Amino acid sequence: MSLKDILSPLSAWRNITREPVTIKDPLNDRPGAPRYRGFHKNDIEKCIGCGTCETICENEAIDLVEVASINAKNGDSGLRPLVDYGRCCWCALCVDVCTTGSLTMSNEYTWVSNNPEDFRYIPGVDKKSWDDSELGWKKPDYDLIPAGRIDMEELKPADREGTFLEIVRGYSRAQAEKEADRCTECGLCISACPAHMDIPGYIKAVREGNMEEGLRLLYETNPLPEMCGRVCTHKCEEVCAVGHSGDPLAIRWLKRYIADQVPFEEYKRILGIQEIEGNGKKVGIIGAGPSGLSAAYYLRIRGFEVSIYEAKSKGGGMTMYGIPKYRLPINMLDSEIGFLEEIGVKFEYETRVGEDISFDDIYTKHDAVFIGIGFEKPYKINIEGENMPGSLQAISFLDDINKDKTVDVGKTVAVIGGGNVAMDAARVSKRLGAEVIMLYRRRVEDMPADQEEIHGAYEEGVQIYQQTIPVELIPDEKGKVKAIKYLKAEMVADDKGGRPRPVPIEGSETILEIDTLIGAIGQEADYSFLPEKYSDSIQTDRGRMIVNENNQTNLEKVFAGGDAVNRTADAISAIADGHRAANGIEKLLLG
Amino acid sequence: MDNFKSTEDIINYAIQSEQEAHDFYMELSELVKFNELKIILKQFAAEELGHKQKLSRIIVSADQIGLTQESVLDMKMSDYHVDIIPKKDMTYQDLLTIAMKKEKGAFKLYTDLANKITDQNIKEIFLGLAQEEAKHKLRFEIEYDEYILKDN
Repeated sequence: MSLKDILSPLSAWRNITREPVTIKDPLNDRPGAPRYRGFHKNDIEKCIGCGTCETICENEAIDLVEVASINAKNGDSGLRPLVDYGRCCWCALCVDVCTTGSLTMSNEYTWVSNNPEDFRYIPGVDKKSWDDSELGWKKPDYDLIPAGRIDMEELKPADREGTFLEIVRGYSRAQAEKEADRCTECGLCISACPAHMDIPGYIKAVREGNMEEGLRLLYETNPLPEMCGRVCTHKCEEVCAVGHSGDPLAIRWLKRYIADQVPFEEYKRILGIQEIEGNGKKVGIIGAGPSGLSAAYYLRIRGFEVSIYEAKSKGGGMTMYGIPKYRLPINMLDSEIGFLEEIGVKFEYETRVGEDISFDDIYTKHDAVFIGIGFEKPYKINIEGENMPGSLQAISFLDDINKDKTVDVGKTVAVIGGGNVAMDAARVSKRLGAEVIMLYRRRVEDMPADQEEIHGAYEEGVQIYQQTIPVELIPDEKGKVKAIKYLKAEMVADDKGGRPRPVPIEGSETILEIDTLIGAIGQEADYSFLPEKYSDSIQTDRGRMIVNENNQTNLEKVFAGGDAVNRTADAISAIADGHRAANGIEKLLLG
Repeated sequence: MDNFKSTEDIINYAIQSEQEAHDFYMELSELVKFNELKIILKQFAAEELGHKQKLSRIIVSADQIGLTQESVLDMKMSDYHVDIIPKKDMTYQDLLTIAMKKEKGAFKLYTDLANKITDQNIKEIFLGLAQEEAKHKLRFEIEYDEYILKDN
């Protein structure tokens, strides 16, 4: 050992008289930098409990937990993030990825407590002194999740006249995978979907290029994915977490992408349906619409002998006869229904219950009955002259068009109504070369039609006359429609908080010359097939059958679903009804 | 209706009209399918009976039988809707249309009768009853607007 080694440590003694540099003022906190990543804050009203923060946290420092004061609702899981500061590394990825921007960090970094449990808390719920601090880390300007969705190629509006070619072209593999990449797998969409489809699961399958897995997941809750991938009302997209800071995921188009990729011949193998062993129970289904087809699929794969009685010559219900081909090509539906036939569902087409076979017969021949009759009877407008030639009902008009019948609508068409059926009638008339005017009692913003339908109608040149009430059809000398008389309406606020009421303005009569009137104010169920001994037992509410959680009516062996039961008037709710009823029938008959 | 000799005649005529309306709804309730419609029609019938009872109590003034003169919104649906003939397979739409028309008729009846009455007290009672009928009509119009014209 050298002398230097002995003396060197002593040199530290020269610092003993120097002023300390680390703690000048030990009684006061030293503030963090304005954008310091300190303890978390959360705007719990803005937060939707999507859990993206929990998913991205590498340290598993975040758990989504229930909060007594917050209830789950559509688009909000009701959960809120709890942060464990024993694990948190303050990287702020949770803030950067937050879909709503509710999660932020204060610039507070010192906090003393003897209780270790204090360092696990729910920001925004467990109140902290830094909750109101403006300083700290916030979501940056850039997006970890791309805000814009991948555009879908569409037929240009100018090219749509005179053709029923499908408007939407569908995603390529690269486009689908890129769009699927935007999904955070939060699952809020699952509860919003009436059929509770495993949306994050099948989107992940798209991302991984595993179409067979995607198809299996689709069929777990929906046996009509080709159809739904095109015309679903996509309530899932309304709650998509990504939609809070950009476009919601194109969930419907991704579903369509999977269904488009797998050939129907492969379905049985992929879905693992080989020989079905019968369980000896028979179920009769009235109506081959989405609810009936859905019930049929889930019953058949569980061994039930299923017969569907359908008045028309094809299945699909309103989706086959009411939705124009530019939205849903018929061959898609034919293939999906063909698959049901392939697995052993029996279809009795052109068999109208009440005429070709009695309800009594069906009731006695089967162990259970499912009524999925839909709303096929149009409401009449109930104005003078409605029955004259040239006055059509949208349902039969669209049916004729889908059957390739020639319908001469003339040069000017007036469509009454503001729902999706009215939009279909208007857009089809436009394709037939007519000038189309929609008369709607309320304002465009009150229309129940999907936004994309209203947008499409405008794009194609349909005119919408708002606040107009049709009062009379005027005939020409041959008794055919020549004009429609309508009144202009003012919107009067509803004292009880309902939607404003259109009230006709005295003296505002206007005559509009037209060649064809198409009524599309709504539909109702036709129960003429149902003998009174059954109809007296089945409870209804304003014409819709009342069912329990298994879609069972008051009659033990009679189940029901679709438009004649639910108020949502969409295919996906009907599909969900069919699935629930299949579960209920299984429970009833097999225990 | 033009041959009334006294106010009492007018009141009796109105009472008879309410009884006829009650009977009409009761007959309809026997005609329709589904218990829901039967129950609704029986409710309508009971309301008409209520009117009849109010008329029977016309002795003093409008205040005592709880009538108001407030103006009631008129959506005028029954003005341009065509008549519906009652039938067995009647739907909810048919039923509401019939009810709206019936209430409109009752409103007009009471207004006309009020014009024939010289006694100011009783005149006010009839105008009050007309307003009651207008309220009933509005109730059916709103129901029609909400459930039948949902897409319009």
